[in-house]
Amino acid sequence: MHSIFFRSRPARLSSGLSFIVALGCAGAWSPLWADQADQADQGERPELTVYTYESFVAEWGPGPGVEQAFEVRCGCDLRFVALGGGVDILQRLRLEGASTEADVVLGLDMNLIHDARELDLLAPHQVDTAALTLPIDWQDDTFLPYDWGRFAFVYDRQALPEPPTSFEELLDAPEDLKVIISDPRTSVPGLGLLLWIKHVYGDRADEAWERLSPHILTVASGWSQAYFSLFMNGEAPLVLSYSTSPAYHMAVENTDRYQAAEFSEGHYLQVETAAAVAGSDELDLARDFLAFILTPDFQRHIPLGNVMYPAIDLGDDLPPVFDRLIEPDSFTFTPEEVGEHRRDWIREWLNASSR
Amino acid sequence: MTEGTPDSTRIGVSARPWWRGPRANRLGLPAAIVAAGLVLALGLGSLGALLWQAPRWDVARLWQEPYLLAIVRFSVWQATLSTLASLGLGVVVAVALARRPRFAGRTLLLRAMELSLVIPSLLALFGLVAVHGRQGWAAPLVQALPLGQANQSPDYLYGLSGIVLAHVFFNLPLSARLMLQALESVPTTHWRLVAQFGLGRGAIWRLVEWPCLRRLLPRLAALVFTLCFSSFAIVMTLGGGPGSSTLEVALYQAIKYDNDLALAALLALTQLVVCLGLWALALAAGGMPRLAGSASERSLGPGFRRDAFGLRRLTDAVVLLALAALLLPPLIAVVTAGLAGLPALVGDARVWAAAARSLAMAAAAGLAAVLLATALLSGCAALAERGHTAASAFLEGSGQLILILPAMVMGTGLFLLLRPRLGGDVEGYVLVIVVNAMMALPFALQVLRNAVLGLATAQRRIADQLGVHGLSRARWLVWPRLRRPAALALAYAMTLSLGDFSVIALFGSPSAPTLPMLLYQQLGGYRWQGAAATALLLLILVVAVFALLLGLTRRLPRYAWRGAHHAAPSVAASRLR
Repeated sequence: MHSIFFRSRPARLSSGLSFIVALGCAGAWSPLWADQADQADQGERPELTVYTYESFVAEWGPGPGVEQAFEVRCGCDLRFVALGGGVDILQRLRLEGASTEADVVLGLDMNLIHDARELDLLAPHQVDTAALTLPIDWQDDTFLPYDWGRFAFVYDRQALPEPPTSFEELLDAPEDLKVIISDPRTSVPGLGLLLWIKHVYGDRADEAWERLSPHILTVASGWSQAYFSLFMNGEAPLVLSYSTSPAYHMAVENTDRYQAAEFSEGHYLQVETAAAVAGSDELDLARDFLAFILTPDFQRHIPLGNVMYPAIDLGDDLPPVFDRLIEPDSFTFTPEEVGEHRRDWIREWLNASSR
Repeated sequence: MTEGTPDSTRIGVSARPWWRGPRANRLGLPAAIVAAGLVLALGLGSLGALLWQAPRWDVARLWQEPYLLAIVRFSVWQATLSTLASLGLGVVVAVALARRPRFAGRTLLLRAMELSLVIPSLLALFGLVAVHGRQGWAAPLVQALPLGQANQSPDYLYGLSGIVLAHVFFNLPLSARLMLQALESVPTTHWRLVAQFGLGRGAIWRLVEWPCLRRLLPRLAALVFTLCFSSFAIVMTLGGGPGSSTLEVALYQAIKYDNDLALAALLALTQLVVCLGLWALALAAGGMPRLAGSASERSLGPGFRRDAFGLRRLTDAVVLLALAALLLPPLIAVVTAGLAGLPALVGDARVWAAAARSLAMAAAAGLAAVLLATALLSGCAALAERGHTAASAFLEGSGQLILILPAMVMGTGLFLLLRPRLGGDVEGYVLVIVVNAMMALPFALQVLRNAVLGLATAQRRIADQLGVHGLSRARWLVWPRLRRPAALALAYAMTLSLGDFSVIALFGSPSAPTLPMLLYQQLGGYRWQGAAATALLLLILVVAVFALLLGLTRRLPRYAWRGAHHAAPSVAASRLR
């Protein structure tokens, strides 16, 4: 009886298995797991490991161009390790401590500098910063700026022909003018807005938040959610972003529809920095890389690759759309002030917004 | 077995290899203990590492920070509402779908249900906003409603209603799909009796559907609650303000900004306590499945049902249309957004390499999840058979640990544990696969549970008498009833890890991105169109995985001589009347 009873469909079973096995083979295929370029020449060349964030190493980001230009010049192998964002770089550094494999960290913004410095893991950059063209004076001997930008509200010209020209105007606007912001606890622009309002309003910041709150459509968890999921869907005519965002739309998408609103109180600055790791085996190479950061070969990838302002004067290499961006006054707290007060200010915001 | 002569099998009982012998039947329990040990080591190990590193921690901080309590209260509240809505509506949908085994577009609807679970939250957000937002497709409809807000854009997407809507969008399809699977495994004989007695709606619910769903509901509720409790981007972005955030936000701050590992561990423990309490309740309330469809009998689903006519046609149509209206428009929004970028994507070798990488990792993670789940469940069955129900429930509960433990805590903890040895790219990928497998485990357990545990004692006794043991028993008794749920479980587990970004983000990525990583890179670089196209590719892969796996395991007529019989019950039943 069992010849009938137990007749199976081995073909079916094996086709299922072979599907899995095929996937497994595809998985073992090594070019999938590493850049071929990296594998090709792993000779005697020293390797420089740079911790950075996800969008920096994207195909269209500054990463590939920077890697190529630096490898030609140094005869070394530049390896990027991409983490989620600046705060993830700091956390990774903190967890790894002195045993970190990073030689350079690239992507710590001004608000992370204070905490990063306290780790005592980073070395002075020893780079001549005379070429820097930031709107503020930069004297730090550890953290070297590689790009900068201003936080701004980007508006949709079709939905909002006349954007507010100051914070006061935004706060006094009729209630149906909605803005999308992001959370200062989980997003960089969110923290930027918190500091911006604190800088403009000082002790009256909580009052300003209370006046702003009827205009807030929602507080997104991150910039991508705010900009992509909500703003691009037309949910509100204003979104918290960078003053350089319109450059991307104008240069790559060829549309003038999205512009940044210029506020007369001035705009808060964002400066992104790189630093060398003191315990690195390749400290000299790391410093070479930092010096390379302030050359046009690095900087020319910044404007459209990272959609930020370059840290030096690029001259004709600066894409023309950058001349059409707003040029407001800008200011910033020192990293020490942010490090000292961030918790209190976030608590103040929490209280003011839940009132 | 098929080749062996009767003589050799009968005489050679002692000569057969050990893996076909009776002792091999008992392998289930050790395998389950190994699996549970692995999960617990990973989960508790990472939590322990965090506690170990934390300089000092006092529980009092939990109530010293008033906002933490508020967060916990809000999380419990929104998760409860979301769970009730998802399961309540899920029952209605599952019953309607089970009653209508054939209608145009049913398969399409099932595929859409599978999609909405695994669609990355950022895209789901995009789709939901495109449909339900203030400028969404549904806005004109809502404005047309006589509710007085004729000239105002609808705001229901922001606030508690939006959170619940999004969670229902994610979890209703999951729960309805699993309930449908349970309903479809009701033995054909039951449905024959229903037809013969001409049972009405109330009686079918009381005697067939409710007993079948009742065993499933507590676990499903715990699963959905856990998912909603720990949801992050959805709750924050649709919540409207800082009042609506989850523990993960506090956790994120503690780990990433404040380097307050003590607080992080404390928060993780809080989440663990809340969710574990719920799971304990669920496991205690659930009980074991009693009667599941036997493998030899092809489950035909309902044949003739008195409750399938008249007004029911209308209500079923309304229910299914409502389901379609909930599920399809956001998916269509994502698909249409992606279509424009598709041509550019097809020519991009990097995208295809990323897709292959993602698929390979998903296959590994999915397979591991299904194997772990099968091992755990067979151990549960062995324990339950011996009357150790508590131990059995504990074993099953251990599989849920990773879901309850916040990913950020696990990532940080694992990192601390493995720190000196986490250099190479490959190790990073392996770790991602392992963690993804653990994260998919609760889903695999849900799907496989009935198939593994429902093996009736009678069938086991017959197998004992026939001397079908070990591997043979697994192949001939267990596998036939396991293959279809296993395919569904594998599909769910694979697609979960296909769409997962959280784990990869924890360990950092080398130069070779997976598909979700590519998606986030594109978003970070303003590449909306490319991101939407990548998302579309992700959705296509998910559909392909489901279609392929379920297609490969579709039940063929097993007994040729009964082929003519198959269409019979409904016809026979209707003649009997």
